[in-house]
Amino acid sequence: MGFILSREGFNEIITQLSSKYRIYAPVLKKGEGRFTDTDVVMYDFVSDPGEIEIDRKSDYSFKNVLVPFSQTLFYFAEEAVKEADFPDKDILVFLRACDMHALRRQDAIYLENGAEEDWFYRRVRDRLHFVLIGCPASFEDCFCVSMGTNRVADGYMFSVETAQDGIACDLHDEELAPLFTYQAEAVRTVVPSYAKENDTKVDVPDQVPLSIYKDPLWDEYNSRCIGCGRCTLVCPTCTCYTMEDIYYTDNGRAGERRRVQASCMIDGYSNVAGGGQYRKTKGERMRFKVLHKISDFKAKFGCNMCVGCGRCDMVCPEYISFSNCINKTAAAVRAQAEGKEGEQA
Amino acid sequence: MSNAYVPSPSKILDIIKHTEKEYTFRMEFHGSVKPGQFFEVSIPKYGEAPISVSGIGSDFVDLTIRKVGRVTNEIFEKWIGSSLLMRGPYGNGFDVSLFENGETVVVAGGTGVSPVRGVIDALSRTADAKDKHVIAGFRSPDDILFRKDLERWDGLLDLILTVDGAPEGYQGNVGLVTKYIADLPLKDAASARAVVVGLPPMMKFTIIEFLKKGFQEENIWVSQERKMCCGLGKCGHCRIGSKYVCVDGPVFNYTESKLLID
Amino acid sequence: MGRDINVKKLKKNAFRISKVRGETASRIRITGGKISAKSMVKIAEIAEKYGDGTIFITNRQGVELLGIDMGKMDEVNQALQPIIDDMNTNQEERGAGYPASGTRNVVACPGSALCPYACYDTTDFARKMEDMIFPNNLHVKIAFTGCSNDCAKVRMDDFGIIGMTEPQYDMSRCIGCEQCVKYCQKKSVGALRVVNHKIVRDENLCIGCGVCAVYCPTRAWTRSKEHYFRVVLLGRTGKKNPRLAEDFLRWADEESILKIVKNTYAFVEEYIDPQAIEGKEHIGYIVDRVGFEEFMKWALKDVQLNEKAQVASRVYWGGKHYDRSNELI
Repeated sequence: MGFILSREGFNEIITQLSSKYRIYAPVLKKGEGRFTDTDVVMYDFVSDPGEIEIDRKSDYSFKNVLVPFSQTLFYFAEEAVKEADFPDKDILVFLRACDMHALRRQDAIYLENGAEEDWFYRRVRDRLHFVLIGCPASFEDCFCVSMGTNRVADGYMFSVETAQDGIACDLHDEELAPLFTYQAEAVRTVVPSYAKENDTKVDVPDQVPLSIYKDPLWDEYNSRCIGCGRCTLVCPTCTCYTMEDIYYTDNGRAGERRRVQASCMIDGYSNVAGGGQYRKTKGERMRFKVLHKISDFKAKFGCNMCVGCGRCDMVCPEYISFSNCINKTAAAVRAQAEGKEGEQA
Repeated sequence: MSNAYVPSPSKILDIIKHTEKEYTFRMEFHGSVKPGQFFEVSIPKYGEAPISVSGIGSDFVDLTIRKVGRVTNEIFEKWIGSSLLMRGPYGNGFDVSLFENGETVVVAGGTGVSPVRGVIDALSRTADAKDKHVIAGFRSPDDILFRKDLERWDGLLDLILTVDGAPEGYQGNVGLVTKYIADLPLKDAASARAVVVGLPPMMKFTIIEFLKKGFQEENIWVSQERKMCCGLGKCGHCRIGSKYVCVDGPVFNYTESKLLID
Repeated sequence: MGRDINVKKLKKNAFRISKVRGETASRIRITGGKISAKSMVKIAEIAEKYGDGTIFITNRQGVELLGIDMGKMDEVNQALQPIIDDMNTNQEERGAGYPASGTRNVVACPGSALCPYACYDTTDFARKMEDMIFPNNLHVKIAFTGCSNDCAKVRMDDFGIIGMTEPQYDMSRCIGCEQCVKYCQKKSVGALRVVNHKIVRDENLCIGCGVCAVYCPTRAWTRSKEHYFRVVLLGRTGKKNPRLAEDFLRWADEESILKIVKNTYAFVEEYIDPQAIEGKEHIGYIVDRVGFEEFMKWALKDVQLNEKAQVASRVYWGGKHYDRSNELI
């Protein structure tokens, strides 16, 4: 069922839904960008539906609703452990097709990898419902078409996007039909828009041979990358975290355990007690990250980890393009294969 | 479903001091556990850390802990009788039965002895223990761990205890573990098995020696040490390629581990 | 017949006396060093037509057109009009060029229009200042710099305005990567430290440079909505006692600063040495003579400082006093 809403009508629907759901959506944060008088689009719980930003690409992803940048898991005192409270309310998450695909990657790690599901992830995951933000046009840096993540058929309650005649919604949740009908300016068929072509295209190699680890293609990143980890922290599919204990008492036996997001690009990620460290160079870290996104994850879960949202390319202060690195990797894989054929001939 | 992250208190039954830095905690534990597995132990003032099982009893596990960070000045012995929060065991561990028949060589360096201590114990009890060889290497005589075990094993199987370096006058072996492999008195290297645990360079060069001696790749086993924050395959720190050391390892056959590049 | 030129008037009209008799140079104000390309072309045309075809870029971001015949000053003034209009420079009479030259061109670094570190729009503030103080014959130098790097070298001016941002910390977004700590240590003053895996800012030590906000990967550190300023006072070059400006205010707002500068003009008019050659005396020497207390009284008259602003109770300047000693140490 398709509806055309005015912004006011849309806001009213969200206001009504707020009694049942917490709303988690991209929000334009005016003046909160990295540099003076710049804006940033971040995800946040919104109280005013007018804040919801459906026309720009968010600089950070939705994933923090599931795994916040910093989260207290539980409190401990001597032998007692008490789980941190979590709001007992369902959450309506606004996201685009690429991020819906990213959610499946998050699920793979947090719910499927290892023998047990992640308790804290599951706790939120079961409460999530989705609003699909349509993409009438591709944004700069997007390469979802190449990654096959430009479209979702279902999994959302309704979709929203700015159309010529208002905010167009494709309603999947029949229960909301009266609410939408009441607020609708018009009723017409709505098919959520999706990017049919991106300016950025990537060529993901089917198989990455082990020999690519030693390829000189990674070397340039030794000097270019500053290891800030922004690419992974904005990434909707990166899941790594680190545990931290905070102590309330001098003996260290009462306190809280937090988990904070971690990045394989940042110093200290692989440090082991006793001083061992893996992937000391930025080139090795780049290789580790890129191959996970386009090869290693696929070997385990059957699909590429990267969903082509391009946020990593948008955020890199050193203008390192992840998408271009995929293409460089593909070229190196081809060159190696051709080289081998040459040797055989 | 239960919350796998929530640790349970476990009583500290005893604490054995090995060196100024390394201590073995004997922790109350009822349940099934294998050598090479590990526990996530909440160490006061340090945080949660993966600790290899260095000994197994019917109602306890031994965990050998190295003092680091803010714990450095703590007097561990004071803690006997109190408890620590821990969870586990995690990881695949060693299948000890694989090594009990025929010729086996265990090479362990430093704290790498912890995960294979149970393996060596089992080997020392086999009927053909004389065909079992252990090369244990430590940085210096002061860094030698599990001294009592080493003395005990010395009579039961073929033990080579060596240190990388020692002050003048030291009576024991001095040299890297790799130098002893070529001269091991093996009947048939092609069917012998090897277990290698230690720092990455030590493992790399030890395996090279084994292959030179004629060991088959599929007969070599290693245990990997990586940063691990969960033990559950979630935190990502221990991933190498498509493998997670915490759930797919830490014990890997060399045919598998040789494909894992950090 | 020899040239009969009122040099005082010529100088006030923003022309210079050249060492080449009969020649002058036209001084063009470019507030904050930012000018439209269109006006730059005009400047080039004037230099070609009336001057020797060269343009001198001054230390204070203006330009001087050299080799102009003194007889052409009126024509040059006419030709300058589109530039004066474009820059929105205050004027007394159209076509008559610049009405004053005492208060020098207001300097500014590129600021937030370009620079990632800048804490405010320096050009915008410079223009507001220019609009308030020009035209004026008093010798006053004002400069704006976007952040504590002070690329505009504002500590050589009477008033140096340095941008500040008050870092805002959202602990719930902090992953404890400590990059802010590292960059604050290496690029700034080291006002951040780690406590319990999170960051504590030494509010007194923090200079508000914003480096933490630039490098924070998660936006745990962000800039304050409000723009703040450090004001440094009465630096100078020159023969007698060159010295760097010293801190007067920190965390001040724009409005307070504009008012303080305006008040300072009144102070100078009251106390300037009546015997000063060509009515030109650095404010610093006036303050040295009448005392900082008196300056403060005038400067802060009717100023409602913003709540966060802090004022120095005393200011001490250093520098070499050549009037007392010319010895090398």
